[in-house]
Amino acid sequence: MSRIWVIATNTFREAVRDRVLNSILFFAAIVLGVSLALREISIGDTEKVVRGVALGGVSLLGALIAVFLGVGLVYKEIERKTIYTLASKPIPRWQLLLGKYLGLWITLGAEVALLTLFYVVIVGSQQGLPGLPIFVSMAMLMVELSLVTAWATLFSTFAAPTTATAYTLCVYLIGHFADDLKLFGEAAEPGAFRTMTEVLYRVVPNLETFNLRTEAVHGVAVPASELAWSAAYGLGYTAVVLAIAMMVFERRDFK
Amino acid sequence: MTDAIRTENLGKTYLSGFLRRPFVGLEKLTMRVPEGASFGCVGPHGAGKTTTIKMLMGLQAATSGQAWLFGVPITDPQSRRSVGFMPERPYFYEHLTAWEFMDFYARLSEVPAGERTARITRLLERVGLERFRNVPLRKYSKGMLQRAGIAQALVADPRLVVLDEPMSGLDPIGRALVRDIIVDERKAGRTVFFSSHILSDVQSICDRVAIVVAGNLRGEGTLAELLGDAVQTAEIVYRGAVELPGAEVLSRDEGGARVRVPVDDVDVALRALHAAGAAVVEVQRNVRTLEDVLLDEVERARPVNEKRLGVLA
Repeated sequence: MSRIWVIATNTFREAVRDRVLNSILFFAAIVLGVSLALREISIGDTEKVVRGVALGGVSLLGALIAVFLGVGLVYKEIERKTIYTLASKPIPRWQLLLGKYLGLWITLGAEVALLTLFYVVIVGSQQGLPGLPIFVSMAMLMVELSLVTAWATLFSTFAAPTTATAYTLCVYLIGHFADDLKLFGEAAEPGAFRTMTEVLYRVVPNLETFNLRTEAVHGVAVPASELAWSAAYGLGYTAVVLAIAMMVFERRDFK
Repeated sequence: MTDAIRTENLGKTYLSGFLRRPFVGLEKLTMRVPEGASFGCVGPHGAGKTTTIKMLMGLQAATSGQAWLFGVPITDPQSRRSVGFMPERPYFYEHLTAWEFMDFYARLSEVPAGERTARITRLLERVGLERFRNVPLRKYSKGMLQRAGIAQALVADPRLVVLDEPMSGLDPIGRALVRDIIVDERKAGRTVFFSSHILSDVQSICDRVAIVVAGNLRGEGTLAELLGDAVQTAEIVYRGAVELPGAEVLSRDEGGARVRVPVDDVDVALRALHAAGAAVVEVQRNVRTLEDVLLDEVERARPVNEKRLGVLA
């Protein structure tokens, strides 16, 4: 366990010292700032519009960080040849991958915490302290990001970053439109297309499960049992994807 | 005594390109590196040296044969428990300082917390990087990275040190430093296994050498064994219009000649020349070097290599 932790902290340190991350945070501050400006131009319940746009922005930026850091997780080690010294240590490969994933997860946790803080400071400065539903939706965003990162990690064990980014974004998009995909397939004639949509619906996670933004915007509490079920679904799915990533990584040759 | 490294018919065939065409990286390598030896693996680029090292270090899976480190199969990560490794042209985490970098590998190698600081300080001093311990590695020169790489390979106090091309890209001072470290490690009782194509360095520090050409082991043994069985010759330069029977004439002009004779015949030849009234100007023994041995092996392996690379196809 201690070696997994050593790799995790090094991965976290690398991400923190990477300047790309700072620019994403900077961008997040701008998005949150702009959402405030919407108050001036929107009609109706302006405060809810501001909250919705701000939360949407946070969730999208979180996903972007997860994808971009995740796809480089293994590839960067191979490209920079740091994997040679790392994988030659007496550590099973699965522990190596788990350490790297854990490091990334800590990074994402810190990012989501910071984004939440930005939200509290920027949106809260106008609307007062946000209620519990906002924090619950952020926690569920973290579950979603764990899952997206696991997919990105899996793709990074065999694909170059550009390809892995494309694959992960596909999973992300299909995951958010999973319900539509199902309806779309059901409306189609039985055949290859319908089978394909059914397979995709079952393989790709339904990421809308973790979307509690509407509830947060309207200040509606979600039942604890539903939260627990969603979290278990997300974390269980993450574990399966990570296990596949470990199997792929185990067999990988480093040329 | 257990061998530090033992391989039996170790082989690697890569499948490359879209059509998955096979390419033999290493063909049936069988060798032993006794514990405590300083073992050099020489051969031209693409001969299979790095492939061998990568398989031993668990970076690539062998496609045939087996290998053991201290008797433990290389498929078990625990076989590399007492092994330090520096890859060819090492690149390390640029975001870390030399100290953090050493600390990272020390922790991964489970160096006890109480020993870490003293050991890292000692190793950084040894490779001359102590002054730059808080400088991020991205600001290091190539030579400095190579030194950091060697320090990293030694941090776990390993019984076996594996260095892939440790001298490549270093200036003469850097090479001398690496040479000294290898000699010191050997004196301290560690087994040192390294690959190199700088043969003069190998010749000066190794007690055993393996010659790998075209994915095959072409010779293995002590330097004396590898160099010794070759016929030794000497060249004699003399003045005077004299014929020396049995000698190979290398050049001749009206004033004299340069001839080559077996080393054992030098004395007889000198007496004959003296008796015939010639004046001997120079006698020089032709010393066979590791380079000569390697070039012979490369020449001998040429048909195999061309076939392997598909040149004849």
